[in-house]
Amino acid sequence: MKHLALAFVILFGFELRAQTDTIPPPVEEEDFSMYDNLDFADSGTKRFATSKVLDLSPQKLISVGIDFQGPYQLQTDTLSFGGNRLGFPQESTFGGSGGLRLGANIPVVSKNSIIVQMGFSYWENNYYNSKPNELSNPLNQALTDYGLRTVGLNSTVFKPLNESQFIIFQGSGDMNGDFTWSSIPSLAETRISLAGIYGWKPNDRKMIGFGLSRTFRVGEVNYIPVMLLNWTHPNRKWGVEALAPARVHVRRTFSSRSLLLLGYELEGNSYSLFNNVNPDLNFDLRRSELRFRAIYERSIRNFIWLSWQVGYRVNYAFDVDELPQGNDFFRGFFGDQPYAMMNDLGNSFYTMFSINLVSP
Amino acid sequence: MIKKTIFFFAFALLLPLFSFSQATEGDKLLGVWEPSHGKARVKIEKIGNKYYGKVVWLKEPNDPDNGKPKVDKNNPDETQRSIPLKGLRILKDFTFVGSGEWNSGTIYDPENGSTYKCIIKMKDDNTLDIRGYIGVEALGRTDVWKRLVIKN
Repeated sequence: MKHLALAFVILFGFELRAQTDTIPPPVEEEDFSMYDNLDFADSGTKRFATSKVLDLSPQKLISVGIDFQGPYQLQTDTLSFGGNRLGFPQESTFGGSGGLRLGANIPVVSKNSIIVQMGFSYWENNYYNSKPNELSNPLNQALTDYGLRTVGLNSTVFKPLNESQFIIFQGSGDMNGDFTWSSIPSLAETRISLAGIYGWKPNDRKMIGFGLSRTFRVGEVNYIPVMLLNWTHPNRKWGVEALAPARVHVRRTFSSRSLLLLGYELEGNSYSLFNNVNPDLNFDLRRSELRFRAIYERSIRNFIWLSWQVGYRVNYAFDVDELPQGNDFFRGFFGDQPYAMMNDLGNSFYTMFSINLVSP
Repeated sequence: MIKKTIFFFAFALLLPLFSFSQATEGDKLLGVWEPSHGKARVKIEKIGNKYYGKVVWLKEPNDPDNGKPKVDKNNPDETQRSIPLKGLRILKDFTFVGSGEWNSGTIYDPENGSTYKCIIKMKDDNTLDIRGYIGVEALGRTDVWKRLVIKN
């Protein structure tokens, strides 16, 4: 009896080992035409457009970067509010500015019928003044002492309607200002940006859409039409990645692991100022700049990509508004509300380097 | 002694039955599936006790550059770049772990030559959640695949 039991064990053990050690045979010749005439097992199944376009620059799940702008001049005016004037006009030389840029963008819902991503960002801009003890203007002083920071949350929803049409919603809430971690502004000062785009994707190389955005990219709140275009040439060497007017880039793809982007981005936001001086005063710096740039991106190991950009930063706005009772207001391109302080920021070369974990 | 022997035989006889049940449930994965982009069809097969998926149909079977059948030209291994996409195994080494889940496998994306860790979950008999990820499951993307059958 013992021997019979042992035989069972040996046989059963052999069977297990034989399964574990199986090596897949090489792919054999097969008549693939039998797979031409298939249909969904579920009769109601629909196909949906995907959010992917061939050869698009990789989407960054996690990004850690450093931004640095070269020397420039800042000509500041006096600060005018309620009939008062504060400080003196001053021309200052900044040896540069820059700081850390962190970002995360994680898909939280990923289905054929809807994709939802949640993101986080932290940007800082520290100002390096060559003569910090000679500052007589409150803006120069605040920038030099505290710099500017942005802490934000954002979300993107991609909702395909059918095989070719889709809708994109984007929203973000940013807290911006010269705050420190011990003087974070209240949630009421969160700046909300929104965008809605309707588009279509005629093939895997082209995605186009039109919509409307509520944006602070011009420094203050504005409502601007937007156009989305992600396109790859049939030769797959060239392409366009654009969300105009916020950013437009021509792409040159060298391989599936390296590419170059040439174009510009309009960056900007509205920053609460002087939180560290007097929280009862409500001033916002309307900062906006155009960054003409070249970006080289390369995979260094599987899903780790380096991104290096160099370019020229052109000032669009660097003026200060007083917010009555802390309430923001709409000026648009044609409003005539006076600024509390109008400044002239010089242009400069800049560079940014980041290391990124990219999405599958 | 006799009790022990009976118990052993009972165990030895029931274990293959349990194993057969696992295999049957795991084999629900077998068949032809279409990823959400609709550009390809993938046949999942069982080899040994693991599951593999190969491309069996392409919406655009030929390379627009040269008119010839598409090959795995983005493969990081240069020696593999002339292998036809049709027949290429893109799902490898999946093991059924129960509760409609297959793991420990990888998925290969021929469009960029990257291989990701992957987990497969069966939502219903005709729907799979295929999640490719990097390192941890949270850093990934899920694609929904639908089962295909022969047209009536």
